[in-house]
Amino acid sequence: MGKKLLRAVAASSALALGLGLAACGGDSGGGGSANDEPGEKGGTLQYLQSFLYESADPQRIYYGVQLAQWRRVLYRGLVAFPMDSDPEKATTPVPDLATDTGTVTDGGKTWAFTLKDGVKWEDGSDITCADVQYGTSRVFANDVIIGGPNYTLSYIDVKDYPGPYTATPEQQAEFEKAVSCSDDNKTVTFHFNKPWADFNQAAAGMMMVDPYKKSFDEGDRSKWKVLSNGPYKVEGGVWDKNKGATLVRNDQYDESTDTPDQLRKALPDKINWVVNGSDTAGELFNDRLIKDAGDDQYAITSARVTAQQLPKVQSGPVSERYVNVVSPFTDYLVMNHKKLTDPKVREALAVSLNATGYIKALGGELVAEPADSIVNPGTAGYKPNPAFEGISDGEGDPDAAQALLKEAGVKTPFPIKLSYPKTPTADKAMAVLQESWNKAGFDVTLDGQGDTYYDVIAQPDKDSDVMWAGWGSDWPSAMTVIPPLFDSRPNISKTTCGNDYGCYESDELNKILDEAANASNVEDQQAKMQEADAFLGKEYAYIPLDNQKFNWLYGSKVTGFTTTAASSSYPELGLIGVSQK
Amino acid sequence: MNNEHFLSVNDLQVHFKTADGIVKATDGLSYTLDRGKTLGIVGESGSGKSVSSSAIMGLHQGTSARIEGNVWLDGVDLLTLSPPEMRKLRGKEIAMIFQDPLSALHPYYTVGHQIAEAYRVHNAVSKKHARKKVVEMLELVGIPQPERRFDGYPHEYSGGMRQRAMIAMALINDPSLLIADEPTTALDVTVQAQILDLLQKLQKEFNTAIIMITHDLGVVAEMADDALVMYAGRAVEYGPVSEVLTHPEMPYTWGLLSSVPDVTADTDIPMVPIPGNPPSLLNQPPGCAFQPRCVHSSKVPGDLCKTTMPDLLPGSHGGSGHLTRCHLPNPELIYETEVAHDVTPTQSEER
Amino acid sequence: MWAYAARRVVIGVMLLLALTLVTFVLFFASPADQARHACGKQCTDEQIAVTEKALGYDKPVYEQWGMFVKGLATGREFPADPELKKTHPEFITDCDAPCLGYSKTNGKTVNYLIGKAAPVSVSLAVVAVVLWLAFGVSLGIIAAVVKGSIIDRGIVGLTLIIYAFPTFFLGVFFLKFVVVKWGILAYPGYVSIAEGGVANWLNNLLLPGMTLALVFLASYVRMTRAFVLESLGEDYIRTARAKGLTSRRVLFKHALRAALTPLVTMTGIDFASLLGGAIITEQVFAYNGMGKLTVDSSQAWDLPTIIGIVVVAGAFVILANIIVDICYALIDPRVRLG
Repeated sequence: MGKKLLRAVAASSALALGLGLAACGGDSGGGGSANDEPGEKGGTLQYLQSFLYESADPQRIYYGVQLAQWRRVLYRGLVAFPMDSDPEKATTPVPDLATDTGTVTDGGKTWAFTLKDGVKWEDGSDITCADVQYGTSRVFANDVIIGGPNYTLSYIDVKDYPGPYTATPEQQAEFEKAVSCSDDNKTVTFHFNKPWADFNQAAAGMMMVDPYKKSFDEGDRSKWKVLSNGPYKVEGGVWDKNKGATLVRNDQYDESTDTPDQLRKALPDKINWVVNGSDTAGELFNDRLIKDAGDDQYAITSARVTAQQLPKVQSGPVSERYVNVVSPFTDYLVMNHKKLTDPKVREALAVSLNATGYIKALGGELVAEPADSIVNPGTAGYKPNPAFEGISDGEGDPDAAQALLKEAGVKTPFPIKLSYPKTPTADKAMAVLQESWNKAGFDVTLDGQGDTYYDVIAQPDKDSDVMWAGWGSDWPSAMTVIPPLFDSRPNISKTTCGNDYGCYESDELNKILDEAANASNVEDQQAKMQEADAFLGKEYAYIPLDNQKFNWLYGSKVTGFTTTAASSSYPELGLIGVSQK
Repeated sequence: MNNEHFLSVNDLQVHFKTADGIVKATDGLSYTLDRGKTLGIVGESGSGKSVSSSAIMGLHQGTSARIEGNVWLDGVDLLTLSPPEMRKLRGKEIAMIFQDPLSALHPYYTVGHQIAEAYRVHNAVSKKHARKKVVEMLELVGIPQPERRFDGYPHEYSGGMRQRAMIAMALINDPSLLIADEPTTALDVTVQAQILDLLQKLQKEFNTAIIMITHDLGVVAEMADDALVMYAGRAVEYGPVSEVLTHPEMPYTWGLLSSVPDVTADTDIPMVPIPGNPPSLLNQPPGCAFQPRCVHSSKVPGDLCKTTMPDLLPGSHGGSGHLTRCHLPNPELIYETEVAHDVTPTQSEER
Repeated sequence: MWAYAARRVVIGVMLLLALTLVTFVLFFASPADQARHACGKQCTDEQIAVTEKALGYDKPVYEQWGMFVKGLATGREFPADPELKKTHPEFITDCDAPCLGYSKTNGKTVNYLIGKAAPVSVSLAVVAVVLWLAFGVSLGIIAAVVKGSIIDRGIVGLTLIIYAFPTFFLGVFFLKFVVVKWGILAYPGYVSIAEGGVANWLNNLLLPGMTLALVFLASYVRMTRAFVLESLGEDYIRTARAKGLTSRRVLFKHALRAALTPLVTMTGIDFASLLGGAIITEQVFAYNGMGKLTVDSSQAWDLPTIIGIVVVAGAFVILANIIVDICYALIDPRVRLG
């Protein structure tokens, strides 16, 4: 999940949700209630999307929901996450364009994939290793392929490579050694400069090593062009940023090269993908789904049910078409380590946190559940952080906090500036934290900020003491949570603390992170990440707040509505069909 | 009624209903006028002189004004006419010219067009014919190059020219009654004289009856046959000009006479303005409306001035032709001894 | 008059250039790191530097502005990379003069984006202006003529109540009730005349046009009412009545001519500002006009598009001012241009 989407989510969902709700309807991580019948092929699915994509170019896509859904319809990867209701299975890659999930050698530094026979682009040409090589190389052209994930840049064993467009023949040869192709143009081998144990997870979750056909490339002008290799293609070949497109069947797609039940059933004959970027579109889409008239009976939406609409969907026939699931987005508080240097003070903040009241202020358990780690439960290798046991679902213990402050020997009331992106709901939720902390001997000032919030809190010299933040991992590995948020080395420079908003610097943590990065297998890596999280917990570097929950509605003629860990808890497009009855 | 006169206004009342009460802008006004004669109505602003004339024009139709009394014009009571009937008389039988010719002319239309409009609304003639008539009229009122000036806009005219154009517009339908509301006030002194001369000349030519509304007694002295002094919506002195200006019997008229500037007089002689302000026309107290400003009211026995409104009655000097509204028992004596020396010789002695 | 217009246009162009310079300066004064935004997560400082260079944001502000001005005059190529042009000529996007720039966010020239967005805003503005003038002016005249009556108070009060509602609310109300709940009209989405014909175009513009028109309705009713009343109180109206003209002729020929002249100015300026985009209405109805483009490009820190909009929207307003002034001179003989 791209952080950009996360920002959108953070600003507009959990904190924006207004109403407290009497709880009902627990988690249903798996299938939609009324649609367990096997889906049938055919018909037209209406997809109502309430935000705009940033690109249709696989190497530039960074929205989690787009990555997950386009994987099912347009862009197949070397490997992909299966549509499984078991989160563990759904976060374990399976072969897609490649024959297996990758052959690892050299202690995790070399990965090889062999392409299946008969996999083709929508123009009928074969997908070759050269396409994978070319696609991978494009990410290096930071001057043309702007945006999209850049992880491969620090791993692929090549130096000063400017991307395929401006590379000298020598530079290009150097790159083609690092990402090499077999003579039959079928097997691609990635040579990394350090082990990358969860590389195939990255390859499944993102599209930075997806194939790209060189003759189709027009650099920045390719931004909205789609050359599909999946079961559908974009009618007209160009995605309209503001309007969307119609997806029709791709006759060059051969089901026998795929595992439809695992990866993409491709049930509807047509997907009418309507984009409406208006602020109110999401609410109106759900109004239409509640009404369930005409074509909207065949509709699903990318927009979650709003807090105001939640009471309407809890009962009656519409509740049959309603799903409430935990999302991969976790919100947390991060302490400014330049200001709150004393761990006792940070601990006092943690123990006096009114987590229950906070979630209630957000809107209750339909919109958020307590989080007990910065690592989301949908992440492979998730484990509750022992430091927050009893805190994450408690109401805060002001006495314990006062004792800690006394121990720390600081003057009370201890002033705290709490910064967060301002919304009415956020104001309410933060006021709950303020109240519980003030009781514990702090003097909290609320600092609700505007659009440039994340830019402001990235600055090293900000005066915030505690900052609200949200995160969703890029692929379901803790490697995309803890290192990007707390490894000081890539984050901190003179001008910025990057995503390490608290400017947290710890050689000890960095050492654990290096060990995790250098692990040759995923199990060892996960154990190291759990260690890192526990370390951060002991340091009270952050306090987990909540895992956001998603509320979905779908039309009455929609079949197989499901969300999975593989679909980022968004509708699993690969399973959804429409009833033709 | 007084049908022997061409125009006979009888007990005219113009009252406006407002949120604060009834404003009696004109109350119980009566006068007569014959063809070819001029009546000068004098008073401060707000005395009701314009309001009463507008009532004769029927310009209050469609407003909140409540009008009572009679306005006999050539045997017809104008106040009983329906709006369409009144409209047909307006501009044809009764015409009006206004104080500020610049604002009285529409800035967006040519002068010729506006005059032609006045002609064509009462005469079914072609544009061409109307133009010819307008050019004739412009020539008659002394506008040079009338053919060319026809297409000029009001702002391209000088003040005097504009007033000449207004006169042309008013007289183009040969009205029998012309109401001139402060026709010279906005003009230079030299131009004032020209305009008055023009009016007098045209009056002779068309035998028009003129109501000359003004606050300038000099104009009245020059133009009018009769003078009517108004104060607070009522006539306070009425009679032949010769009578009213030489033997005024009402302290307000004295005040007006004293406040006329005299360009020929010695500058050492001060101009005496009337102290105080005109009264509100709303909820008038009983008694003489001028009493609060009247320096002579103490000469009236008791508090008669405060309690009782004097009637408009024949005065002591000129007999029945000269009416005055005052409680003073011997106004003539007071005027001669206390007031006359303040009044400039042009008015008091010339007559 | 032509000399006057030419002089005004020259001043207008200079004003626009100054406006773009200000926008450039303000943009870079913002605390947001545009290159970091564009580059995405996990960008090292070097990568950000490359991105910054690619976006042209590495150059000093005045130099960037100079390139922009030059592009207006002579056109530009994107990316302006002679080496890339040699190896991959198909990558280069030509942007002919007057080139407003190239939006990396959209992968299109700003000229193209505005060319797409402007017809939407123009359509919306035309429909709205017709609606609000038709209703605003006639209601205003009625209110003035029956001044003080129940009808007058009703008109003024009702339009004020409507005015009190935020545009956003009106738009959402229409969508929620007229479209979703009652199903009276289909969910509007812009259809150009070329695509769907005039009827279809108009049908889809009805709700957003109405929403926008309602915003202006109250002020036009009140202004019309006030201007007509003021005009009816003028001396020349008394003259017109004294001439014996019918009250209809007095109202329509004499009073309205003067009363509606200031409305021409207001309408011209309001219309022109709408050509630059009706931000809230377009946002609510997801009409991809200039207003929506403004919001989207601001959110994406898309400087070239923002600048392009500033230029075009500013040009609309300046041009409208010139046209209005010329119109005024034609309507009012007292006004002399110069």
